This record gives sequence, structure tokens and C-alpha cells, in this order.
Amino acid sequence: MLGPVRRSAALLILVGALAGCSTVGSREEAAAGVATRLLTAAGAGDGDAACAVLAPATVKTVAEDEPCPEAILGKSLPKPGTVVETSVYGQWAQVKLDDDTIFLAAFPEGWRVVAAGCTPQASRPYDCTVEGD
Amino acid sequence: MRKFLRENGIGLVFGLLFLLVLVGQAFAGLAQFNDAQRASGLPDIAFWRYVTSASFGVDVAENWQSEYLQFFLFILLTVWLLQKGSPESKSLDKPGRETDQEQKIGPYADADSPKWARVGGWRTAVFSNSLGLVMGLIFVGSWLAQSIAGVAAFNEEQLSEREDPVSWARYLLEADFWNRTLQNWQSELLAVASMAILAIFLRQRGSSQSKPVGSPHHATGVEG
Repeated sequence: MLGPVRRSAALLILVGALAGCSTVGSREEAAAGVATRLLTAAGAGDGDAACAVLAPATVKTVAEDEPCPEAILGKSLPKPGTVVETSVYGQWAQVKLDDDTIFLAAFPEGWRVVAAGCTPQASRPYDCTVEGD
Repeated sequence: MRKFLRENGIGLVFGLLFLLVLVGQAFAGLAQFNDAQRASGLPDIAFWRYVTSASFGVDVAENWQSEYLQFFLFILLTVWLLQKGSPESKSLDKPGRETDQEQKIGPYADADSPKWARVGGWRTAVFSNSLGLVMGLIFVGSWLAQSIAGVAAFNEEQLSEREDPVSWARYLLEADFWNRTLQNWQSELLAVASMAILAIFLRQRGSSQSKPVGSPHHATGVEG
């Protein structure tokens, strides 16, 4: 009885979902690129460039005691290794590198790092040296 | 036009209400999603982004699957199950699939019976079960859609909590999947049971879902 109407709505949602999925590959690459940029900048001692890819709330936390560009260099982030795996789900992404895991969120200007220097904890959230509140 | 509207009122009105409510759900869901975004220090997302998100998808699909499961079970089980006094039940002397004559199949078909009821063979077999079959297929399809959108929405939340995402197979064992599924199933089953039983004793004058007001409580399989 309501079939045609419901089918149209389902089709609409499916088309929308597929349209969203079509950009997943490029979103993953973009997230991995931003994660690598953070570690590269931090490794090169370029605090300004490192802070430029942090999410605003993360910058605020990092810069609690001293300016972000200086504080971020004291966080002992590892050197950028090979990207092992990138997962993107909606507004969030996780980039796993050889010796770091980085969490990113989507902003109008692109991916920004919410947490970095993260190590897994058994059955608990990752423990991160850099993260927002 | 007026005749068309009069003769298709149920489908049209419920179809229209469905679309209005779906749009309402989208706006309410967007507001809730953006509340969570702001709480995490993240920007709002746009309406179109939300309606194509896994979060909206799983919220829609989990309700659809349970509705179609309800209809599928109700259509199928009422072939054999009866409820004395209920307009939702067949009369008590007709449990089961009934005879070809009662069902107007093959040689017993009327002149205006659908072709697939007349021709016999696999086509009549399929047509004889087509309502349950299609409801069952839509149920399975929307449950699958729930699981696929569900794992993506679940993983988005996992990442926001600095936890690893899970695979689709692993998600099928997660509490989130079964909580979403079972909370919808229980409400649908309650609705069917209460409709079947309340309609024994209560009436809604003029409704196709009620017995005539003056029908006795024990009258079974009578609709107004």
C-alpha cells in the first residue's frame, strides 16, 4: 500500500549514501596527509606548522601553560612513520602509523588533529599525549 | 481527481504523513547530532550531510526493519494462529492455508481473479505467498541496512571516544546492534498483541480495523 512512497525514500537515502561513500578514498588520503604533516612538522621543530593542523579545542589544551608552537614540541611526538591503516567514519578519522595513532575530526577547512601520540590501552580508550578536553 | 483521492486515501495520507515525519526526524536528528558535535568542540554539519550520514541511516533503518518484521510475522502467523473474538483473526474454523476453492485458486478462480492466481504452477505458488515474501524481503533488506549503517555510526562514536573501530561481523555481536534491534521488536510485538486483544472488547465505529459496534465480543473474523 505504501510501497512506492517508501521505496522512493529508500532509494533517495541509498543514492545519498552512495554519493557520500564515493569520496571515502580521498577523505582517507586527506586524513593520513594531515596526520603525517603534524608529525613531520613536530619532528622538524616547526611548532607553528604543527599547531596549524590541530583542532581548536586541542590547541587550547596544549597551549594551557605556554604558546602552542612551543608546547607541541615538548610533547615528544614520534617521527612520521609509514601509514599502516586509515579509517574514516562520518566526521571522524583514525590514522595508524608505525609508532603512533592519531585521531582527527572534520572541519570546514579539512581534517584537524584532535588527539595524537596515542597508545592503545586494553579495553579502554587510547592514552594520548596530545588531545583536547 | 476527486475520485482518485477518495479511493486512495489510506495510501496517500499515510504516505504523505510518512514523508512529513521523516523530514521532522531528519531535523530533530540533525539538532541532536550538532549538539554532540558542539560538545566535542567540532563544527555543525549541514542538513544534507546529516541525511546521508550513517547516524541518520541507522535511526531510519532500525525502525523500518521492525515494522516490516511486524507485518511479515502478522501476515504469516495469522495463517495458523487464531484469536477468539478478534477482528484481526480469521474465523475459528479456518486455521491453515485453506482449500483452493476457498482461496479461489486455479480452476476455482473467478473471471476477475489475478492471472497468477488462475494459471497454477510456480506462478500461483509465488503469488499465493507474495505478500509475506515481499514483507519478509523488505525486513531482511532493512535489517541489513541497519547493520551496515549501524557499524559506520558505531565506529564514528568509537573514534570520537578514542577507541578502535570494529568490523561489520564484530558489530553484529555488539550490544549497540542488539539494543537497537530488540527495543524496536518488543514495541512492535506489543502493538500487535494489544491490537488483537483490545479489538475483542473495544470498538471504533466505522473503522475497518474494528468489529461493528454491536457485534458480540465472541464474534471472530468480523470487520466493520
